[in-house]
Amino acid sequence: MEEKIQDKPHEKPKEPPIERLIVSSSPHFLRDENIHKIMHTVVLALLPAMAASVYFFGLRAAGLIIISVAACMLTEYAVQKLRKKPITIWDGSAIITGILLALTLPPSFPYYGAVLGSAFAVGVGKQLFGGLGYNIFNPALLGRAFLQATYPVLITTWSEPLSKAAKAGVDAVTAATPLALMKFEGKMSSHLDLFFGNVAGSMGETSALALLIGGLYLRYRGYINWKLPLGYLASMALFGGIFWLINPTKYPDPLFHILAGGAMLGAWFMVTDMVTSPVTPLGQWIFVICGGLLAVVIRLFGGLPEGVMYSILLMNAFVPLLNKHTRPKFFGEGIKVE
Amino acid sequence: MADKQNLWHEFKKGLWQDIPPFRLVLGTCPTLAVTNSVINGVAMGLATLFVLLTSNITVSLLRKIVPGQVRIAAYVVIIALYVTVADMFLAAMFPPISKALGPYVPLIVVNCIILGRAEAFAQKNPLMPSIMDALGMGIGFTMSLAVMGVIRELFGFGSIMDIKLLGDWFEPWIVMILPGGAFIVFGFLVALVNYLSRKKAETICH
Amino acid sequence: MNNVVTKMLLVLTVIGAVSGGILAGVFHVADPLIQANREKELKEAIFVVLPEAKDYKVMEKEVDKEKLAIYKGIDAEEKLVGIAFIADGGGFQGNIRIMVGLGIDYLKLKGIKILEQNETPGLGNRIKEPAFEGQFKGLEIKPKVEYIKYRKPEKPNQIQAITGATISSDAVVKNVNNAVSRVLKAFPQEEVLK
Repeated sequence: MEEKIQDKPHEKPKEPPIERLIVSSSPHFLRDENIHKIMHTVVLALLPAMAASVYFFGLRAAGLIIISVAACMLTEYAVQKLRKKPITIWDGSAIITGILLALTLPPSFPYYGAVLGSAFAVGVGKQLFGGLGYNIFNPALLGRAFLQATYPVLITTWSEPLSKAAKAGVDAVTAATPLALMKFEGKMSSHLDLFFGNVAGSMGETSALALLIGGLYLRYRGYINWKLPLGYLASMALFGGIFWLINPTKYPDPLFHILAGGAMLGAWFMVTDMVTSPVTPLGQWIFVICGGLLAVVIRLFGGLPEGVMYSILLMNAFVPLLNKHTRPKFFGEGIKVE
Repeated sequence: MADKQNLWHEFKKGLWQDIPPFRLVLGTCPTLAVTNSVINGVAMGLATLFVLLTSNITVSLLRKIVPGQVRIAAYVVIIALYVTVADMFLAAMFPPISKALGPYVPLIVVNCIILGRAEAFAQKNPLMPSIMDALGMGIGFTMSLAVMGVIRELFGFGSIMDIKLLGDWFEPWIVMILPGGAFIVFGFLVALVNYLSRKKAETICH
Repeated sequence: MNNVVTKMLLVLTVIGAVSGGILAGVFHVADPLIQANREKELKEAIFVVLPEAKDYKVMEKEVDKEKLAIYKGIDAEEKLVGIAFIADGGGFQGNIRIMVGLGIDYLKLKGIKILEQNETPGLGNRIKEPAFEGQFKGLEIKPKVEYIKYRKPEKPNQIQAITGATISSDAVVKNVNNAVSRVLKAFPQEEVLK
């Protein structure tokens, strides 16, 4: 109690809640929905991608997912215990962060690295800002960005999917991702391989098909706004397409852009993060168009082959600003009265 | 006796109560930029301590001579003098350190701590308190940089003062020696110092 | 009023003059030491890339209004063993400064040494490791230095790029190529050998 008052000095002592009139900030739930239910649906939607990662990269992928999830939940528990807040590790948000983080890691990434990334994602990315709903950045992506800076070599050491490695007759072959092949060697990968996921890359990012199934299921359940994922992908295709038209031999085609790398995973599961995306329609359009442009520009001209992660994180930072300045006007607002 | 206590207070405040980077949030530029190893951090801290001490002495001695209207100009010239001396000294005697610190030694000129102490303290106080103030602030600053350096070098290289502490099992956290790591460590340390001082204040109140 | 202005002028002038005087004094003492440090550093770098050299001579020229210098390495018998020069250029982050040693055959490199770089620690900064620098020993510069990835070099003018640090490896190769072509143009073999 004492701490509460210190945090918000203007807050009045708690009165018994008024049952009928609930004044709260968005999102307003009209249906029988809660964080719990939404989060578990998202986990369900991620199942195809998880299955694909295990199929293409073996049981180690499952191990990484389990360890990331466990580390995320443990961190959440530890921080909430430390801050003397209610423990909410079973609301599913930490589970999703763990899964998403694991899906963005290379299959050969060490377990301790996944633990470190998870601790940073939940500890710094979410709890330090005040917990679920208060975080500015997508926690999983923040954890991934931290790992990118912490273990730059390990996180860019990719291996071929099992089927291709078996053909070569060895257990694990280091390989370049389609984006790196495009960027540094000017080689294109087949669209079909990209669609099914039979390429080197982060565990859960390679299979566009699996991610699409999950994404469409989320859309079907009505948990995501179609503007966000489709707008982001369309923006990437549009700007990627412009460069492709300028020089088709040097730059990849638009379809390659949206199938390769983290585009699908980012578009369906990270751009759509309820906490870190804008709430107004105009804000959402700006968010996805600029995000797609950034991703393409980083891919084609930046130092790294992949730009989806940084594009989303950078746009996350603009969300409060977008929400503030794209608020729809209420009727009569702004008209001067003489 | 009271005088001595006063001097002690002027010295002590820079070590914790007003420790420059963490409590005053002054001099954050070098705190973030050159603390990727303990040696660099301490060297930077000592260079700043030298400039702080000499400029505080000079400003305190000249406090009745320099007219108020041109005091800032005068202080800047004085500070720039000592900074250049420190820079040349490092380049002549410790070229590797001078190279590692790069432009941050000349940038001591614009370190807010120096001008801040000259303006807020030395120009109003006699010699002895000004010396104690400079020593306290300078040592506090050096300590802060050393702590930053210890944490960043330990995690970033697995060593402290170039002595390998963590074995081969430890995969260095490259981020710690990059600017991003500086901000992360700095944030945590500011939080820690705030937390500890609040705790201290609470125990005194109760 | 006038009195205040005079005082201001006087105080600032005196402070400026005294500071200038002190600086001049310190500079007088420190400058030879600083120069000696630079000289020593240069010398060490030259001797690394031209291992047979015992001494060197500077040869300067002005090309396109830019000063270009090479260091002629000579051994104990005053015989020319090769030339060294600085290759400067952008890396992944910031400048990379390389000392390049070229044999008198004007075909093979004698070695390179990275003098300055700000590449990512643990990744790009591995360009200064002997394993990478060593690849340039005996490397042919014609038609130009190239790098390949993931494989051992096949041609005498190829090196293997550092895995995960293609941009830094590429920057080193580019800098070396640029500097070599400039030096070859400005300092023809006949002129240097003579």
